[in-house]
Amino acid sequence: MSFDLEKILESKRALRRELAARPLEEKLRMLDALRERVLAIRQAKPAPDADVLREEPPPGGKTDKPA
Amino acid sequence: MNIKELIALINQMQSDGIIERYAIGGAVGATFYLEPIATLDVDIFVTFKPETGKAIVSLQPVFDYLKARGCAMRGEYIVIAGWPVQFLPPTSRLVEEALRDAVTMDVEGTLACVFTAEHLAAIALQTGRAKDKARLLQFIEARALDAARFQAIVARHGLVDVWKRFEKQFLSDTS
Repeated sequence: MSFDLEKILESKRALRRELAARPLEEKLRMLDALRERVLAIRQAKPAPDADVLREEPPPGGKTDKPA
Repeated sequence: MNIKELIALINQMQSDGIIERYAIGGAVGATFYLEPIATLDVDIFVTFKPETGKAIVSLQPVFDYLKARGCAMRGEYIVIAGWPVQFLPPTSRLVEEALRDAVTMDVEGTLACVFTAEHLAAIALQTGRAKDKARLLQFIEARALDAARFQAIVARHGLVDVWKRFEKQFLSDTS
């Protein structure tokens, strides 16, 4: 079994392009499903340790929420 | 949990005059142009009709309207159709412009007002956290940006140096 990294990356890019091109309705349904999965994973794992490195909030706080 | 229902309720709130304009930003906004991006909340940027004598914008009318329709507050979010939603007044000239230039998209009969791809990318550049940079790279790799339009926004909002640093860090060919 061989690993052609460039081939793997290209197939990932192709999948992302294909997903991006899907109808908006379908993509929004996927968002609903993705959120449910993320919540299920969060509920299943133990609470993170206090010393886990986290990203800082943006300057100006949450009201400057980005794209 | 249904994001289309959420958009329909925001449209109704706009029709009822509670907000003047709105536009979807964040990961949900980006999903209109890219592959679906997992997120836990929805960012809705809003403007209100100016009221004489009131200098401070209050989101209370939004919360009152939504609570009367069964939506619950959860911290700084209000939960609509199962999604925590954050309503954000524009906090910079860039976001003000993004709201003004937002586009309307048809999601099988439900209209959704969304920031343009170029404004989403410029806001990501301006905010500059790791996940914002990753988002900006996604827009570039997906060729979802009109380069001239994006560069004009970058120049108009004083982000040229930030963009040059981003280009040097992520887009220059080091091979």
